[in-house]
Amino acid sequence: MRVCCGLISHLELARRPDLYGTPVIFGRWDEHVVAASDEAQAFGVLAGMALRQAEHLCPQATFVLPDEEAVVRIRELVSSALYDLAPIVEVRDEGIAWLDLRGVVNPGQSIRAARHRLLKAIGREPRLGLAPGPFSARLAAARARPGRLLRIADAREFLAPLPSRELPLDAEQRERLDLLGLRTLGAVAAIGPRELESQLGRDGRHAVLLARGLEPDQLEPWRPPLFTSAHRQFGEPVEDREALLFVARALCGDLADELGLRGAGAKHVRVRLVFESTQTEKRESIVRHPLSSTAELFGLVRSWIKEWKPRAPIAELWIELPVLEAAGRRQLRLWAGGDGSSEEVLAALERIQERFGDVVWHPRPA
Amino acid sequence: MQAQNLEVAIDSIRVRFGSQALTRAAELPPTQPWSSGTPVDHLTGIGGLPRGRVALFTGNGTSGKLTLALALLASATRAFAHAVVIDGGGFDPWTLTSFSPEPGALTVVRAPAPEIAGEVATTLARAGAGFLLLMSEVPEHWLGPLESDANRSGTVIVGVVDTPSRALAHASSFSLGFSRSEWIWDRGQLVGLRTSARCVKNRVAPPLGETELEICYRLGAQSVTEASPRVSEIEQCVSAAV
Repeated sequence: MRVCCGLISHLELARRPDLYGTPVIFGRWDEHVVAASDEAQAFGVLAGMALRQAEHLCPQATFVLPDEEAVVRIRELVSSALYDLAPIVEVRDEGIAWLDLRGVVNPGQSIRAARHRLLKAIGREPRLGLAPGPFSARLAAARARPGRLLRIADAREFLAPLPSRELPLDAEQRERLDLLGLRTLGAVAAIGPRELESQLGRDGRHAVLLARGLEPDQLEPWRPPLFTSAHRQFGEPVEDREALLFVARALCGDLADELGLRGAGAKHVRVRLVFESTQTEKRESIVRHPLSSTAELFGLVRSWIKEWKPRAPIAELWIELPVLEAAGRRQLRLWAGGDGSSEEVLAALERIQERFGDVVWHPRPA
Repeated sequence: MQAQNLEVAIDSIRVRFGSQALTRAAELPPTQPWSSGTPVDHLTGIGGLPRGRVALFTGNGTSGKLTLALALLASATRAFAHAVVIDGGGFDPWTLTSFSPEPGALTVVRAPAPEIAGEVATTLARAGAGFLLLMSEVPEHWLGPLESDANRSGTVIVGVVDTPSRALAHASSFSLGFSRSEWIWDRGQLVGLRTSARCVKNRVAPPLGETELEICYRLGAQSVTEASPRVSEIEQCVSAAV
């Protein structure tokens, strides 16, 4: 396994880039610290600490309420930005992005692209580590300078001198390790898994495997959501069909860009018109092949809008693709011929007639 | 080791983007022919016009390329549910009647501009029309989508042009160059023409060289203006000789 890890700030921090460089603490009153910036951590503030204690340690910090929904959005954004760089991508709220580079033809190119995309998404240079597994890659990234890559060939050798507090154990287990005199990962690695399992339970066995660089954990691949949509709210309700078509084309363009990035397509297309009275009208259709380009999407939406007679001025236009599927599925029949049908050809001729006027002609015998 | 890495990379691409996103040349199915029943079938080397590919008939005016294309079109109307002519101007559908076409399967699209012709051809190829006769220029940027869509649906595309653009010539898989060798006269009356059809490009089989075609008009008392090809007769009279 070859895993690249990009370490960035906690995603809570990423939603407030204006506070970069200053001590920031995210948490709710009477609860625990969710995340703290590097500047706040320098004062001893740590995630999981009581907020009152954090305030005592760093009173000059800016305190911000956490927003889980915003963090999920940022995580989805970062994941989708990295999705096409490696077969398996996992992003965590703590600001860790893993890319499994097995099978990637040019890993260097993927790593460079990951750095640029993380910088663009978060606004800060990520620290990068390349190692045989996710645990060693994360620790390598933590020791790299911002914007630089630390490459690890032998995980066990790299991990040996690192402190044992890097292991994913709770405070009590760490204290027990300390009492046992196991203060480095090298010392933990030298113990047999069964011996530590008898002391710490299953976590002990897991810790030994991690310390030995055996990487027992697998990444959880991120999968893009299976739906998407684009919408536009009009300042003034619109009655003009041409204006509606103009906006529809722009929305189709946005959707096509997103589909292209995800390598996805959609067979199910739905258009909703929202009126001033919040009532809606919708049309939807399922086509045979997944649509993914602006021309394909707009070709379908345009024909609907042109014949649509809305009962009131339109305040909002939605184009929704409720079910996305991999573009790969579209390619499955790339080399299979004869997949057209008479209905599809007739529908195509109707679209041509609609788009270019009276150009289609069916000669009939005199 | 390198071969193993390559296998891992190939498997990874197939898992991620679909089993046929990456296809080895050895795994590709052979090009399927559409047997039109005309002498062109002998020239392609696979027993018919290649499906899912662009075939080109080129040559100067009155060299017989359009007559042969019309014979193909008439045959296509009987073989496919949809045979479409994309006409840049100048196509007279009534010249086809003598070839006994199936009118229900024929559609003519008048494309006033090459851009429209390109879009129409691509749309119909994607939809899976059986046969497309292109009688208009197609802009270069439409040729890629046209090729891939035709490849997917198996549409037979035949283009008729005097001199193809570089891009169109490149996009075609099979190209026949026509040159008239002589008119055929009988008792002072024009009865046909003799033309040479030379395979100038063939991606689906080895090029088979040159063939002589004879196209005969109907005999009988006709005025000069009526001397347009009687296609049913022509179809019977078109013959190929090596």
